[in-house]
Amino acid sequence: MQYGMIIDVDKCVGCHACVIACKAEWEVPAQYDRNWVFRLGPSLTSSGMAATYYPGLCNHCENPPCVPVCPADPVEMTFKDAKTGKTVTMEVGATWKDPFNGTVQVDHERCIGCGACRDACPYNARYVNEDLADDNSLGKVDKCTYCMPRVAEGLEPACVQTCLARARIFGDLDDPNSEVAQYVKKGAVGLTSKAVQIGPNGRYYGSKKGDMELLMQAAPQEMPEVALRRSVLTKMSLAAKKQVKELGMLGLAGGLLVKSLQKDDE
Amino acid sequence: MAMNLTRRNFLKAASIAAASVPLSKVAAKAESGVVKAPLVAQGSFKDTQTAVGGVCEMCFWRCQLVGKIRDGRLIKLEGNPKSIDNGESICARGNAGVKLLYDPDRLKYPLKNVGKRGAPKWQRISWEEALDTCASKLKAVQEKYGSKGIAMFPHGSTASYPMNFFEHTVGTPNVSEASFFQCRGIRDTAYLATIGMPPGENVDMPNTKVMLLIGDHFGENIHVSHMKRYLKGLENGAKLIVVDPRYSASAAKSDIWIQIKPGTDTAFLLAIMNYLIQNEKYNADFVDEYGEGFDEMAEGIQEWTLEKAAKVCDIQASQIKEVAELLAANMPNVAIHPGRHVSWYGNDFQRQRALACLTGILGAFGVKGGFVPPKGPKGLAKVKWPSGDEEAEAIHHEEDIYPFSPPGTPTDLIRNAAIEGEPYPIKGCVVWGQNPIQTIPNQPMTIKMLEQMDFVMCVDVMPTDITMYADILLPDTSYLERYDYIKTGTQWNFADEQQQYIAPRMPLVAPGFERKESIYITNEIAKRMGYGDKIPVQTQEEMINKRLAPLNLSIESIRAEDGIHLQPGQDPYGDLELDIVFSSEDLEDYDFPAIPTYIPVEEPPAGFMRLLYGRSPVHTFNRTMNNAWLLAECDSNPVWVNDKLAAKLGLKEGDTVSFVNQDGVKSRTNTTVKVTPGIRQDCVYMYHGFGTMNKEMTLGHDKGVDDTSLITKLAVDPETGAHGMRNNFVKLIKVS
Repeated sequence: MQYGMIIDVDKCVGCHACVIACKAEWEVPAQYDRNWVFRLGPSLTSSGMAATYYPGLCNHCENPPCVPVCPADPVEMTFKDAKTGKTVTMEVGATWKDPFNGTVQVDHERCIGCGACRDACPYNARYVNEDLADDNSLGKVDKCTYCMPRVAEGLEPACVQTCLARARIFGDLDDPNSEVAQYVKKGAVGLTSKAVQIGPNGRYYGSKKGDMELLMQAAPQEMPEVALRRSVLTKMSLAAKKQVKELGMLGLAGGLLVKSLQKDDE
Repeated sequence: MAMNLTRRNFLKAASIAAASVPLSKVAAKAESGVVKAPLVAQGSFKDTQTAVGGVCEMCFWRCQLVGKIRDGRLIKLEGNPKSIDNGESICARGNAGVKLLYDPDRLKYPLKNVGKRGAPKWQRISWEEALDTCASKLKAVQEKYGSKGIAMFPHGSTASYPMNFFEHTVGTPNVSEASFFQCRGIRDTAYLATIGMPPGENVDMPNTKVMLLIGDHFGENIHVSHMKRYLKGLENGAKLIVVDPRYSASAAKSDIWIQIKPGTDTAFLLAIMNYLIQNEKYNADFVDEYGEGFDEMAEGIQEWTLEKAAKVCDIQASQIKEVAELLAANMPNVAIHPGRHVSWYGNDFQRQRALACLTGILGAFGVKGGFVPPKGPKGLAKVKWPSGDEEAEAIHHEEDIYPFSPPGTPTDLIRNAAIEGEPYPIKGCVVWGQNPIQTIPNQPMTIKMLEQMDFVMCVDVMPTDITMYADILLPDTSYLERYDYIKTGTQWNFADEQQQYIAPRMPLVAPGFERKESIYITNEIAKRMGYGDKIPVQTQEEMINKRLAPLNLSIESIRAEDGIHLQPGQDPYGDLELDIVFSSEDLEDYDFPAIPTYIPVEEPPAGFMRLLYGRSPVHTFNRTMNNAWLLAECDSNPVWVNDKLAAKLGLKEGDTVSFVNQDGVKSRTNTTVKVTPGIRQDCVYMYHGFGTMNKEMTLGHDKGVDDTSLITKLAVDPETGAHGMRNNFVKLIKVS
């Protein structure tokens, strides 16, 4: 099973309801987004004037580059197939790809907020919510979960529910009878480029050539270069913060010092 | 551990420390939602209660809502699953209603301006003092100048009860609704003069074969069930024709885009009609049966050959022919959209007449895919304030001008009277939910009007531009905290089972702080002005129940039905009894053209571009400008500049610019440039409603440019007195 999302840009009217419904559903701070709508054009394309929308979200990719860069201490996690009850146990960091439903998820408890996964994503689908920083992290990374907690309750993802155009279709790409699979058969494609081929499971469908040309231009054209530096620095600074705190007396001032050190690093 | 001062604990400590700051600030904090979020948000579906009966008013379309409530706090709004109108869908603005409800900048208490109008200093006062002041000041104006010395600028469902009071019982004709005089009034009266009814947006788009949109930019302009109808039509294979100087959101979905020269739409429509008539491709049977004055019109528009119109409209004759042929081939199942905001060029009554006449010659009334009014529920009672002792004719009726005006008085006539004192002084001003600074062209004049008033009171939910000019400012409840409006209608697609719905607005949460709803405020002012015996209802609940009573419905019965009462509907097609007045003797009697006529508009002076404006899909003008979620989606209004023009002007994508208009008026703020081939070179375009000047909107002020500030010249529609606002011209000044 591989969950996927179809965006039918023939239907999308660019209203941004998907973005705001997500914000309300998951209490996403105003300055961050788990999903987005960009207006593309009007521009001249090889088939004339065109304008369309790029409603984006985490693509829950086949080969997610965000997963292997996570420096959080790995733990063993057991996954269960909702349908068959089959289980798989594997070692994961604070972000992983679910072996059964294909979604990419985050463990906020263990996330150290280093931002390595955010930087690794060519689609800019992740953000670090610094307001959630705690003793063991600089914040918590967050992104679209395909609304798995809603789906588990038999609900649609919040963005799908609110979409007036029914331009967002969610389902199992591996099920050939699903509407999403039908769309793929009809020509729905992921936003990939020569350099970015990581198997996005968000697929875009549009019957107008010009619209699709604009969308493919909006696809990321290069993979981000992720150095380990960020995660190493984070681990170091968290250790330093702990030490400072253990000194006790410094308290808040110590925290601020660590923060300013981090700023210098950047 | 005592010293474990994490950020979370720090916030907790800070809120205890805050106990020493004034109560109002603490309370405001609490409302703004500084509650530490858990690491993993719970989602709106867990441990929440669902409150039913919400009716949205982030815009005027009024989708039906449910609220997800946790611990007494609204955390999410969704479309009411029972709705046969919007269903579970709502737009971005509807979703963001939560942020309006808990906006820390919302008005909370009655305020008195102890500074100056326009540079207010607010002092919190009691409701008692506020109501006493409003009533005594208005009474003083009334005693000195008569009731007509009071002007009122209302907007939205909150304002209908007080408007009725001031118009009927107090008896002032000086009431001006922006929704009429700066928006759709012309459409309504032009159709009234042509088919005997205002058209709404009643075209059967889901079941049509062709849609013709003149300037409508669906997608930038979002009303949920209207969009559903439009999209269903496209899905069902309807051809879409979009006439717009700009490659709008609708143009991007069109089969035919007519990049027309601004102001010339009527010439385009006349040429289509002339072509259809000359080539006998119109619906002669329908015209014979329902038409009046068809021959006069046919003869009168003969001059409008394809070539002539093509020249005037700066488009290809072949395109006009293509449109005409497409309409002819599919008549009568064609949707000629009447539009909504049509106050454009001062020649708009004629264009709206032409749209109605075109619908007529295609026989597209009452038929599948044509103009079809829904058959909604009937029988709701009316609650009205009784007439008072004073009655005065509106200024334009006294002067025998604008005979086809919508209800109320054209705004500029009120403004002129106030400033000049002629024909009589206007010294009291009641603003209820409208923001005349951003609705009426020529802001300096509006400010002058306000400055000469003896008394100005505003009632609103948020601070806006106009509230800066209030002497007394009263905090209204929001649409999520009150009963006040009964939304009725039918299922959005006439092809589905015929159903009707009745959805009275019910509060999803209790009002916070000292906010009061308009029935209370109006009644208390009325009592103090000596009209206590004329009060028609005591409470908002009584109002709704009285209106529902003839249908044996009540708030409680509908709440038990999950907020929406459904009942069987009627087939909306056929039996549409109307006459199509192609040539109007009424109009002729007033020396207006009897048949739809193209009246050329002023051209841009050399070096200037016509300023066009429109909607952002995530904003309802100034009203949503302070909404944190919506502002994050769209916090400016970049100006669209044609790519070739931009090259000539030395402008690049993303450059920062300011504006100066034909009268030398400069924009107070800047915006950026969007360079695109998708707009003509003789005009520029931006979203309306930005650049609000009130710093009490701490997030929204000074974002983007206020287009209204650049609209200083009025183009008054001679038939209606409504304001065309697209005859202003600007130059761009590069800032960086």
